[in-house]
This record gives sequence, structure tokens and C-alpha cells, in this order.
Amino acid sequence: MGIEPGRLHFSWISSAESTKFAKVAQEVSDKVKALGPNDHFAKKELKVA
Amino acid sequence: MKCIKIDKNEWAGGLEAAASTYRLFGPVKEDEFYEFKALEEGRAPDAAAMAVRNTRTSPRSVVYPQAEVLFEYTTDERDPDAHVMKEPEREEKPRAAIGIRPCDAYSFVLVRNNFESPEYQDVYWLRNYEETTFIGQACHDPCSTCFCTTAGCGPFHEEGLDVLLADAGDHYAAKVLTDKGETFMKAAGWGDEIDFPDEEWEGWKTAAGEKIVSEVPTDRLADIDTLALHDADFWDDVAFSCINCGTCTYLCPTCWCFDIQDENKGREGIRYRCWDSCMFPIFTLHGSGHNPRDAKTQRVRQRFMHKLKYFVDRYEAGIQCVGCGRCVQHCPVNIDIRKVCNLMNSFGETESCSVA
Amino acid sequence: MIAYTDKIQEIARRLLKDCKVETVIGFRKGSVPMMNEPCFITSADAADGLVWDGNCGINLANYLTNRKEKIAVFAKGCDSRNIANHIIENKIDREQLYIVGVPCQGMIEKRRIRQMAPGEITEATEDGDEIRVKGRDFEEVYNRDEALQKNCAVCVHRNPVIHDEMVADEVEEQTDVDRFADVREIEAMSPEERRVFFRKLLEPCIRCYACRNACPLCYCPTCFVDESQPQWVGKSQNPTDIWTFHFLRAYHCAGRCTDCGACERACPVGINMRLLTKKLNKDAFDQWGWEAGLNLEERPPLDTYRPNDPEEFIK
Repeated sequence: MGIEPGRLHFSWISSAESTKFAKVAQEVSDKVKALGPNDHFAKKELKVA
Repeated sequence: MKCIKIDKNEWAGGLEAAASTYRLFGPVKEDEFYEFKALEEGRAPDAAAMAVRNTRTSPRSVVYPQAEVLFEYTTDERDPDAHVMKEPEREEKPRAAIGIRPCDAYSFVLVRNNFESPEYQDVYWLRNYEETTFIGQACHDPCSTCFCTTAGCGPFHEEGLDVLLADAGDHYAAKVLTDKGETFMKAAGWGDEIDFPDEEWEGWKTAAGEKIVSEVPTDRLADIDTLALHDADFWDDVAFSCINCGTCTYLCPTCWCFDIQDENKGREGIRYRCWDSCMFPIFTLHGSGHNPRDAKTQRVRQRFMHKLKYFVDRYEAGIQCVGCGRCVQHCPVNIDIRKVCNLMNSFGETESCSVA
Repeated sequence: MIAYTDKIQEIARRLLKDCKVETVIGFRKGSVPMMNEPCFITSADAADGLVWDGNCGINLANYLTNRKEKIAVFAKGCDSRNIANHIIENKIDREQLYIVGVPCQGMIEKRRIRQMAPGEITEATEDGDEIRVKGRDFEEVYNRDEALQKNCAVCVHRNPVIHDEMVADEVEEQTDVDRFADVREIEAMSPEERRVFFRKLLEPCIRCYACRNACPLCYCPTCFVDESQPQWVGKSQNPTDIWTFHFLRAYHCAGRCTDCGACERACPVGINMRLLTKKLNKDAFDQWGWEAGLNLEERPPLDTYRPNDPEEFIK
């Protein structure tokens, strides 16, 4: 599709792995934040065409 | 007959001059077919484009865009206009549809019945329509699927046009039909008035009419009982192959149904309207969850009954179809309005014959 | 393939006369060149109206959804795979169907022939490997192979995979085709190039949903684009909404698409949206060796778990 590398992450976390979940969520959010605002596949303006 | 002679060498230049006053729309070549859309600067439709029979998408969107913002607003209190519903800024130049086919131009005349009635006036549609000048291109060579001559118009039909161009080889003979048309011709700098032989024009018109091989009888539609036609047993057969896509209704120049939608982002919001289609399952979905047309057959029947019966009864302006044949050519499963119109028009005929 | 018509009529007549089925779903002759119309018949007398030629590209599996009666259906390779899909996904019972297999040599893409022809085609006839087209002032003959639907040209499952009866002997399957050359080209692009490519690809979309509705896989009672409470996708021509529709639709077909080409065939503005589903087909094939609808026994990879599933993309 052309999503920028680094914006999409996959992880396998069991429901028992709460600390892993928190750690991964933090990492993902840091990485995505570092990329800056998403310019693609998002409606930046209210336009109809 | 008075005509303006437009030398084909002066065609592109004239349109360029007109473009300073008008926003031009016309047939534009996409990868493999023509669309009717805004012309980019300096991109006048060439001879090939003008000779194109039917653009894939109809010129409906010139007057009635697929999606059109009605108003916008903000709820940001810091904005002095907070909570005020404002019309979006409009392009000031009037529009001109270049090379529109007579059938497509006539479609607006039919559609106007819906957008302008004694009770209701749709200001958005009417404003767009009234500011548009229609520079038509006569059809010298109609398609095999065209049935305009039995759908209320024809290859040289003038109703709904401001200028009608006929292709005279090295030049266009332009028959100016309205004041609006005259204003456009002046803006384009075309003023070479000639006496065009009536016989030649009529000859073209007759020759083009003779090339129309499809005919659709509509003479009995008005007299057939609506409920009986609604309950006719052919609808299941007609509708079986339909996949309920919007191809027919979105390519059709005369389909007018729309949906109203709100969208917002933060404190900004817009209300727009966009085309809708009676083929879609949510078209008549009620707020209660009930859908009076929740089966495919009902939706297919609605499309044909609307075009070929309800419209006929309500407006006495013929059928809501100009015979352009787009739906015939592009329906993915080959549902053919000519066949359906035949079925509807001959409904009950055999019974009455057998009684006689 | 025209030779199939007699046999098809004979089978339909027999099945209806013997009350083996209540309905037969097939094709009748179309009203414009290179088009046939899907139809159903319920009496043996009506079997004379059935036809078969290279213009039967519409996937008839699409017409089985939610039907209750016993049905006979004519099925090409791809149709039969979609029928298998339907059965696997519990949309229809195998016992409800009498599948008449139609070995296929590829369907004709009328759009391509129209482009090749010097004028409007008013008549087209198929004769063996040739297609003869006529217009008002021309007559041309084209080689059938040049005019195949793009998916048919690279098809490796021309013979029906499940059937109760065959219309004719199996045809030879193509083996020397490169099915995913176009997908590899896109894979080789940078994300930015890909974005530009897809933007251009989807630009002409008028949101008629013909691709979705022609697809036998799209049978959700309410499609996500039609959902209004809450509404997931805007209804304007905003490119983001158009992309959302196409990409999500493609993802809904992951591991299920048989590349029957119904979507592209139906599109009135010529979008090659198979490029989206083919990428997912390629992934399913590369990762799990999976091709949808080849049999009734195996579960699709996306609705089952195996310990050796590839998971390199997961951390």
C-alpha cells in the first residue's frame, strides 16, 4: 500500500504477559512518534474530492 | 440558416480565450476511455475527443458533482464565525460544457423537473445549471446502443443546448441557440457568420437519425396501471443477474438521487451531499432498521419503475432516460434497459389481444 | 467452447426433467456483443435459452449465496473454487448443489477487443481460436489468446476442482505462466513509489462497488462501507475514503480470492484492482503454499493455526 516503514508493528503477546505488553506499547508509540505526524492514509482536510 | 463558422485551426485558440471567462469541461482521454471532466488549462478537446460518441462517465457532474459541500462550520469559540453555517467559497467563473452530446444536454432538462418544482427549488443544482453554457456536438455517428430518437431527443436535438456544433470537415458549423450561447461565442472570439444551407444540415440530421438502430417503444407506459406493473411477474427474471452495483445509476445522466452526509474533524465540520443509488441496500434503510426495499428484485424494479413509469406519470415529460446507452454498454451483467422497457411497455398487451 | 452449448442445454433439460434440481443457473445470450447474462431456469423447456462461449466470465458462484433450493450450476475452474469456498465458509451445503464442471480455455476481455478494433463492434463471433468482430464498416479477426482476461491468461486451474458431472473432457492446464510478475514489480517499489502507484490506480473510482458486488466472496449482510451506525468510511470522493474501501475490501479477500477476475471485469472505469488481491494471493501461496478453494477438506490458513506457521513478521 505504501505505508511508511516503521509505522506498522506486529507483536505476539499472551494475555499473561502484561509487562511485555506495556513494554511493546511504549516502544511502538516511541517509534511512531519519532516518525512524526502521519501524512498518508489519513484525512488531513475535510474535502470531498 | 445562420451559423458561425469555426475553423478547426481556431478551435483550441478560441477555447483558450473562453477559458479566461469560463471554467471549461469536456471529453478528456483517460488511459483507455474518455471522461467528461474539467479541462486543464490549454487542454482543448481535439478532433478525436470531439468525435467521441459517449464519454464513459456522463457530464452530469458538471452541474451536479458526485460530492458537493453544502456548508461548513466551526465550533471553535475563538473563531468569530463559530457555530455559523457558511457556504464554501465558490469558483467565480461560470462553467461551459464543451462538446456535450445532445442527449446528455437534454438530460439536464429532464432532471430539472426534480430540482425545480413549484414547491421546492434546489438552489445548489439550479445555480450550477443556470451558470453553465452548453456547447453541444451533434452526433454524426451514433452508437449501436443509442436509442435517443425514441427517448425524447436525437443526435441533433437542440433542447437544453446553447450552441449546437456540427462537424463540417475542416470547420464546425455552430448553430447559436440562446443568448448564453452567443455570449460564449463572443468570449471565444468566434464570429464568422455564414449562411449554412438548410438542406445540408437537415441531411446530416436525417443521416444520423437513420444510423440509430435501437428503438424503444414507450407509447403504452403512461396508460398501464402502476400497481399491476409493479406486481408484474417478469421482475424476478429481470433482476436475477443484477449484482446491485451502482454502474447504471452512476453512469446515467438522468439519475439524480443523493445522500446527505456530515463529516467533522476536531472542531471543523462540513455537510455535503453525494450521489446515491437505488441499487444500494442502504438506499431506503429507515432509521428504525426497516427497509422497504431489502431485496434485490425490489431495488431493480424501483430503478426501472422510476425511470419508465413514475417519472412518466408525474411529469408528463416522457421517460427519465435520454437513450445514451451507457448502462447498456457497461452493465457488468448485461441488464438492458431497452429490453426492460419493451417488457414494461408491452405489459398486459397479450391479454388484451386475446380478449379482442 | 461454443461446442459446450448443446451439451449444457442437454444437461439442464435432463436435470430439470428428472427433478434432480429445482433451478439451473447458467448464461443466456447477451444483448450486446461479447456479453452473456447470468440467468436461472426452472423448467426443462427453458433450457434452449442457455449458451456457453468465451463471454461467460461472470462468476456464477456469486448467485448461490443464501439460496435455499436444490440448484444445478455451471462452473468454470474459478467458479468451482469459489463454490468450494462457499461450502467451506458454510454459505451453502454441498448437497444443495449439482455442480456441472465446464473446462475453461479462458474468457474474453471485451474491453481489450474494443481497444483493438478500429470502430464500434456490433457483432462478435467465436470460432475456435479466433474471434471475428464486425462493425459498421470493418471486419477483423483476432487471436483468442491475445484477447483473454488478464487473470485467464495466467490461470493454472482451468478445470473445475469439484463437480458432479463434466460438460467435456478436462483441458490441459497452463504450466509455463508467471502468475505474479506484476505483483513483484510493485513489491520492488519503494513505499513512496507504491503510494503514488496506488493513488493513480484508484483515481478513476466512482464508488459504484461493482468490484465488490461482482465478487462471490463479498457476501457480508452489511458491508463495512455501508455500515452507518457507526459509519466507518466517508461517502464522498475523498481519496482516503476510496483507498480505505479498496484496501480493506482486498484484505477481506485474503486467503479466499481465486483470482476469477470478476472485480476487474465488472469495473466500469477499468481499474485493475486485482493487483491488490493478487498480492495477498501471492503471500498466501508463498507463506503457506495455499491457493483458495482447491478442495473441501483443508481449512484456509487464516482460519486455522499450525505450530509451524511462518511468523517472521511478528516480534
